[in-house]
Amino acid sequence: MPTSIVRRLLALGAVTAAVTAAGGLATAMPAHAATSKVSVVHGIPATPVDVYVNGKATLKNFKPGDVAGPLDLAEGSYDIDLTKPGEPIDKAILSVDGAAVPGGANISLVAHLDEAGKPKITPFVNDVSKVGAGKARLIVRHTAAAPAVDVRAGGTPVFKNLTNPNEAKADLAAGTVSADVVLAGTTTVAIPATDVDLKEGTATIVYATGSAQDKTLGVVAQVISGLHSAPGGVPSGDGGLADEPGVNVWWLAAGVAVLLLLTAGSVRLATRRTTR
Amino acid sequence: MRSYFAGAPRHHGARRPVMSRRNLLTGSLGAAALLATGCTGPRADEPSADVEALASPSPAPTAQATAVPVQPGALPQAGKVVAPVRLRISAMGLDARVQAVGIDPRTGDFAVPPSVDSVGWYRFGPGLEATGGSIVIAGHVDSAAQGKGAFFGLRELDAGDQVEVGDRAARVVRFQVVAVEQFRKTKIPLARYFARDGALRLSLITCGGPFDEASRHYRDNIVVTARAV
Repeated sequence: MPTSIVRRLLALGAVTAAVTAAGGLATAMPAHAATSKVSVVHGIPATPVDVYVNGKATLKNFKPGDVAGPLDLAEGSYDIDLTKPGEPIDKAILSVDGAAVPGGANISLVAHLDEAGKPKITPFVNDVSKVGAGKARLIVRHTAAAPAVDVRAGGTPVFKNLTNPNEAKADLAAGTVSADVVLAGTTTVAIPATDVDLKEGTATIVYATGSAQDKTLGVVAQVISGLHSAPGGVPSGDGGLADEPGVNVWWLAAGVAVLLLLTAGSVRLATRRTTR
Repeated sequence: MRSYFAGAPRHHGARRPVMSRRNLLTGSLGAAALLATGCTGPRADEPSADVEALASPSPAPTAQATAVPVQPGALPQAGKVVAPVRLRISAMGLDARVQAVGIDPRTGDFAVPPSVDSVGWYRFGPGLEATGGSIVIAGHVDSAAQGKGAFFGLRELDAGDQVEVGDRAARVVRFQVVAVEQFRKTKIPLARYFARDGALRLSLITCGGPFDEASRHYRDNIVVTARAV
């Protein structure tokens, strides 16, 4: 159980991380935005928990590898406590006091191990900006008790020297990639290759979790959809056979006037004929 | 009526031999009306209220204060998407092959199939398995090299016309045209037609409007929206 000093340090770390992560977003956020989408990710092996937010039981028996949410949380600071299932909040195994939730953001609160294997909670601000048509966003987060790693796609390192608790991301062509994780600068596989389906218009967040020492390394995934863009245009003809030329307004007006004059003239003619 | 054909007097520009004052007047006024509306071409950039209604997302379910959704954080698997392979529109005598297409990497535009006899289904959007959103199929109106395209007659469609889309297993999903719209390419609300929410609908897109000989581009896009029936 963490002492109060550890709690405070954790809280400080969480707040700093949240503020740092939110900083880049601040300019893009509308001023009136007040609530954030908050997901909770469980990346601590073999430790189901109850999750308390501001002292209120929010998730019961939340299992390792699961993702909860998103919850709509108003901008502000939150106390988060994790207990063993059914245990009271004062026996929390992990607590963060005053975790900052900025307004208008999309956040993942991740319970995970730090590099040394100690449980902690790290908030990440998710990049939910639109992706280009045909693209998908891949975000990889190192939240495992493991040294620096490289992430490879199809055998080629795409994210290098990623350390706990940091992320790397890229917008890629949508489709399936075969990805694995190796110790940084080596070909020593830490997490073996798996196929990851990067669906167009989504952000797929992959968390490396567990502990290298305990041989519990694995991945947890979170997908955020609705980030698609429309194509730039639909060019679908260059023949000109369906041309519908625009008409000059003045010619049109002149045409209408001539027609009306003709009509008036004919009406008078016709009238004269019928009256004779 | 905002659909582009609704008000156009295509079939009653009656110019009969002038026999009486009444006929003469009707004829002239008809001709004037034809000149005023018919010759200027369709009115561009007027969105259809019917299309807007179909595109508007259904209201979000009321937030349940108690239950927080929890999912296993498994790696995402490729979802089941049913690709359309055939498009039939009897009103325009069309029975065309549908190819799955995406984005032209050079331009970022919709990759309309090069053969003007085929049309392209946007494989990143909903397929025939969908219960909501816009299934998009685009095709050529024509091409300089190949002549008239599969969608040459698209703008002649009218509300109520039937559209059939078939999949590989020869199952058919039926749609009914609700609107024909025309937009300048610079003004078309593409996000509405490439939306993945709102009612299930089919958006058929081609080119139209005035043709610029210099750039060899049409100014406008024609969009036919059909709702699932």
